[in-house]
Amino acid sequence: MAQTTAPQPQQIGPKGMGPGFWPYTIALTVLNVIFALLILFAPLDFIMPGWSHPVTDRAADIDGLFKFMSVFGFAIFCYVAGYVAYFAIVFRRRPGEPAGTIGVVVHDAPKLEFWWTVIPSVLLVILTGLSIVVWYKIQFGTGAPALTMEVIGHQFYFEYRYPGLKGSVYSQTDAMHLPIGKPVRILITSADVIHQFWAPEIRLKAAAVPGLVQNLNFTPTAPGTFDVACSEYCGVDHSVMQGKLVIESADKFEKWLAAQKQRAAAGAHPIPLARGNAASGKALFAQKCSACHAIAPFDKKIVGPGLAKLTDDPQHPTLVTGKSPTRDHIAEILENGYTGPIGAMPNRQANGLSDQNIADLVAYLVSLK
Amino acid sequence: MIGWLTSTNHKNIGILYIVTTMTFFVAAGALALLIRSQLAFPGNTFLGPHAFNQAFTLHGTAMIFLVIAPFGIGLANYLVPLQIGAPDMAFPRLNATSFWLFAVGGLTVFGGLLAYGGAAATGWTAYVPLSEIAEGTGAGQDLWIVGLTLVAVSTVLTAINLLVTAVLYRAPGMTMWRMPIFTWEVVATAVLILMAFPPLTAAFAMLLIDRHTGGHFFDPTYGGNPVLYQHLFWFFGHPEVYVMILPFFGVVTEVVATFSHKPVFGYVGMVISAFAIAGLSIGVWAHHMFTTGAVSNPFFSAVSFLIAVPTGVKFVNWIGTMWKGAIELSTAMLFAIGFMLNFLIGGITGVMVASPPLDYGAHDTYFIVQHFHYTIGGGSLFALFAALFFWFPKMFGIRLGEGMGKWSFALLFVGFNATFLPMGFMGLEGMARRVYTYPDVGHLALLNGISTAGSVVMAVGVALFFVNVLVSALLAKPVPDNPWNGYSLEWLTSSPPPEFNFHTLPRIQGKRPAWDVASGAAP
Ligand code: HEC
Ligand SMILES: [Cu+2]
Ligand SMILES: [Cu+2]
Repeated sequence: MAQTTAPQPQQIGPKGMGPGFWPYTIALTVLNVIFALLILFAPLDFIMPGWSHPVTDRAADIDGLFKFMSVFGFAIFCYVAGYVAYFAIVFRRRPGEPAGTIGVVVHDAPKLEFWWTVIPSVLLVILTGLSIVVWYKIQFGTGAPALTMEVIGHQFYFEYRYPGLKGSVYSQTDAMHLPIGKPVRILITSADVIHQFWAPEIRLKAAAVPGLVQNLNFTPTAPGTFDVACSEYCGVDHSVMQGKLVIESADKFEKWLAAQKQRAAAGAHPIPLARGNAASGKALFAQKCSACHAIAPFDKKIVGPGLAKLTDDPQHPTLVTGKSPTRDHIAEILENGYTGPIGAMPNRQANGLSDQNIADLVAYLVSLK
Repeated sequence: MIGWLTSTNHKNIGILYIVTTMTFFVAAGALALLIRSQLAFPGNTFLGPHAFNQAFTLHGTAMIFLVIAPFGIGLANYLVPLQIGAPDMAFPRLNATSFWLFAVGGLTVFGGLLAYGGAAATGWTAYVPLSEIAEGTGAGQDLWIVGLTLVAVSTVLTAINLLVTAVLYRAPGMTMWRMPIFTWEVVATAVLILMAFPPLTAAFAMLLIDRHTGGHFFDPTYGGNPVLYQHLFWFFGHPEVYVMILPFFGVVTEVVATFSHKPVFGYVGMVISAFAIAGLSIGVWAHHMFTTGAVSNPFFSAVSFLIAVPTGVKFVNWIGTMWKGAIELSTAMLFAIGFMLNFLIGGITGVMVASPPLDYGAHDTYFIVQHFHYTIGGGSLFALFAALFFWFPKMFGIRLGEGMGKWSFALLFVGFNATFLPMGFMGLEGMARRVYTYPDVGHLALLNGISTAGSVVMAVGVALFFVNVLVSALLAKPVPDNPWNGYSLEWLTSSPPPEFNFHTLPRIQGKRPAWDVASGAAP
């Protein structure tokens, strides 16, 4: 017990706020002003893509909010961290000072604490208000949407549906397209686990929750091709659940949509099966199919049947679908998948197959004897 | 050895907690190094996705449930009875039960690594339906659920114990308003635990029922709701972040006051802000669910913003405590200052993402990873080291080397900021969290490279800390009972304290009994 040195209530160290307090404060303030000017006016696109050219009206709102908060956030950081470091240095106990010296005993300063509570509260109320205004526009839109489309999350791709288009567009094989200048509403949901639709440049994301449909509203304002990613961890291939978003003029968009419709209307197989390349198909098979299929007789099953004699097997004259083993019917299985007594054959979206991939695989499979 | 295993003494249990959590810390830190190695450059194939997904799941789970939170609880176990002049906790045997439940729970979670299919790989949040189908069907996920349920039960039992101890077992003269701030923060934490943890155990029970008996609580095709799981989880999860920070606010307050050689500035404000934070933190959980579109974003945004106010009060009070002090820049004090600087960044980014429109951008990206590591890593973890340096002499009667300690601090501070500052920029550039690989676009390669290098520097800092412990234990230089001129009651007893803490108690007539005794104001 005896070692505790009695604290001597004596004032030691610097008087006033501390040496150089005011010049230091001015320096911090200048730093803040420079930072604010940078944030507000410098083209910081290398930090955040789209910084000086927001691609939608909401992205502009959100970036405004972000810049406003960054300026205040930096100021708070600067002063608080600045004074912590400053006091730690100017009020440090000097080597020669006796162990018992204590600081000036100040128990509290109710006035300071009062203002320090009130001023941030007011600031935060303002921030809340600004945030809610922007949120409201995102959630409910600013007028009737000119285009309402759907995004459906799957393990591990996004499916896009457009009004009037039979069939869907898939993120592995095509980009999502949006027209400039038209208010759009995107409805988002999921077919399996929770995913999250995110396009960094439009600054928005929305969870795709099974059983729940939610929406985002905005108007694209600038053309370009942007990334789309799933940002909610959704399983083993979450990292590669990515795609593209094309924002283009309304004309180009209409043309694209018309082409999609034509393709869908053209019927069963718009896939150019005749142009399949068996060698590419072989490489692709090793990559995407060999986990489930062996190049062996039908009965050598892994998950699915062996595929070596698909078109020429007296024991199994038809495909598992019961159809004759023609190119078209094989392509049908690769495109739509098939679930029968053996198990589930994934569809093209799950396997990540483009039209050309399917053509190549079919060419390869029929080349086997 | 047997003595330790069967001990019900709060000091032994506190030390068991600390040793166990530090062991889990090494494991979780090793997992972090694996994660950073995989992400060191784009397209790396060091860990496949499945191993990576287990690594980040176990890393997060362990740091939260098995390191930071239980370290605070272990420290409280050790200190609260000493600080209020009690001979032990209110329920010593319950206390031992809590510890062993915790230890077994933690091992159960890690036991998943031995399961067929590997450990849990659905993140520390284990969102449904993922944790019920696909990724979450293995026994590893079950072990995860069961292990954490044990930890949750243990935490609730300890909270009851701490609360009863602080309220009913104070020494004569130790009124509530004379308790050290650390004890106050623990009281607030205990109240928070009692409110937050039961919903977690409920969520886990429902998850188990869903998984094994077709409960359909969370399955929309049968009228269940996956968002319900998120509500239950975050009703626990957000308060949990304050369970992980409040005790460390207390640590920083004690360390800053002691080494500034001043009384705590704004004692009452400190206590009120602790309870204000605890209270508000019960009403903000759905800010983790802004992007589901299934919650009231304006309400949860407003309350989340408000939490910044009491947190700001704490900063004013720490700075006020340092103001005109005679500040001794010991290792513990340096860690406390590091805590303030880092936590400040975590707090400011936290205010940003409390705004739903900004959260739409930041949510589930590396921006968020940066945010919470600045609070729990740069904050709580730094305070954890401050606590170790500060109370080590009390616990073991020997002091940790200050020179080596300051090197540890420097390495950890530089390493921490190098690791996590770049992450905010990765997020702004479009890197989602929980990805095992990323394309070589923008500055992602550079930022990730810096981050991985920083993590190695941190590892060296941590390793140096353990060397320090070893060397100090070998040298075993004795220290006086009150080496830092501390003011609270624990500094009046011997180091380490006797079995029932105090042979004689001084007359307690203020907030700083050790100073009163030293100045002759109290016998
Ligand atoms: C997840 C495992 C899995 C993968 C991957 C997979 N398949 Fe299949 N496949 C199956 C199953 C199971 C069946 C049988 C379905 C049934 O009849 O129950 C099947 C059936 C087939 C059939 C019909 C066979 C027959 O005799 O009629 C063809 C052709 C086929 N798959 C081709 C492919 C190709 C090409 C790929 C690569 C793009 C592929 N599969 C990838 C599981 C898989
Ligand atoms: Cu995903
Ligand atoms: Cu939270």
